[in-house]
Amino acid sequence: MASQQADRGRVGGLRRAVDGAAAEWFGLAVRLGLAVVWGWAGLAKVSDPAEAAQAVRAYEILPESLVKPVGWGLPFLELALALLLVLGLGTRIVAVVSAVLLLVFIAGISSAWARGISIDCGCFGGGGAVDESQTKYLQEILRDTGFLLLSAWLVYRPRTKLSLDAWLAA
Amino acid sequence: MSEKNREGKRNARDKMREARAAEEAKARRTKKLAVGGVVVAVIAAAVVVGVVVQNQRSKPETPTAAPAGTIGDKNLVIPVGAADAPSTLTVYEDPRCPACGSFERSFSPTVDQLEDAGKIVVNYHIVSFIDRSLGGSGSKYGANALGCAQDAGHFRDYHDVLYRNQPEETEDSFGNKQTLIDLAKQVPGLDTPEFRSCVNDNKFGGWVSAVQQDFDKSSYKSTPTVLLNGEPVYPKKGDEQISPENLVKWVDAANQGKQLGSTGSHGQSPAPTSTAGESNNPPSP
Repeated sequence: MASQQADRGRVGGLRRAVDGAAAEWFGLAVRLGLAVVWGWAGLAKVSDPAEAAQAVRAYEILPESLVKPVGWGLPFLELALALLLVLGLGTRIVAVVSAVLLLVFIAGISSAWARGISIDCGCFGGGGAVDESQTKYLQEILRDTGFLLLSAWLVYRPRTKLSLDAWLAA
Repeated sequence: MSEKNREGKRNARDKMREARAAEEAKARRTKKLAVGGVVVAVIAAAVVVGVVVQNQRSKPETPTAAPAGTIGDKNLVIPVGAADAPSTLTVYEDPRCPACGSFERSFSPTVDQLEDAGKIVVNYHIVSFIDRSLGGSGSKYGANALGCAQDAGHFRDYHDVLYRNQPEETEDSFGNKQTLIDLAKQVPGLDTPEFRSCVNDNKFGGWVSAVQQDFDKSSYKSTPTVLLNGEPVYPKKGDEQISPENLVKWVDAANQGKQLGSTGSHGQSPAPTSTAGESNNPPSP
């Protein structure tokens, strides 16, 4: 009897932790953190279009006709995600898009690793072929996995403090 | 009667409550759809604008201004030596690349001799990708200054001066245009007002970008890439390590029975009509 009550208390505590105000503040931090990641990644790739295209080309996955559109469009997609995350507008959709994008990145890096080509992921600018000793595939994948966890949280709990979503719902 | 009345009232209240709930649910759905629409529109607009803007900002792959005497179908290549020399040495180099610096310091006397003897013409592709990974502009500005020197007819000497004074890879001293101009003082006749403004205005910036884009699309991934008549010879030709002696030996072997090129041009062949065979974009192996 007592243990049952304790169970209910624990479940209630977990509920409060996931749904309560604290969780919405945590969600705000996650949202802004992910916004910084996308904003940084996008800005770093905007300055030199040829470099951005080469970072994509170096993966040797896309045909030449898609290399430039992807290299040029991707940074702006990332900046759009950053903007929407800062505003907190459509957080769940944006988090889903973020997660899909990160899964694509992880797949691309893994594929480069598996095929034994030596490139920099070009995640935050740069990119292209590097010396074999300078590849950092594991770190790059772990880093993207961390960002994927942030996105997953926002898919799970998209309600966050100081968001346009909350303001619209009120 | 009163019973019935009460029941009727309750039914009416229930109905109203249901209707209001349905309305609220509908409003929520509409709001959700609207937000989703805005999100998709923002993302789509950003990507389209991005592709259009970057397309406009991109330097063309065929440069509008190329240094005098450059060759190839897009004028991306700087030739040094007699155009009719029997062998071609193709060299891809980045001004900031340390391995290029050590290649130049060990091989430039030999290469100069081979050029001056009419045995080889060297086709230089001055690429500029180190700036991408290390930041800075030393590769791009250095490549532009080399283009300016080619334009003035002093490429070979200035190229040797730059590599002799190459900074550490992580140090971006070539990103300082004044450094590039100061180094030009070591080449007699190069430090002119034209050369200075060419360096300061980054006159051949579009050409530098085009040369790099051509390298991006090639199958070569690192510098220096050195090819003798199209065959890689750096760091090895087959199983044989490159050395000044071996390079001379390989060139002589390739030239056997062939007429040497016209000599006496001191490494410069400024004729823009040069016929040295060189495609810009080497085929994948």
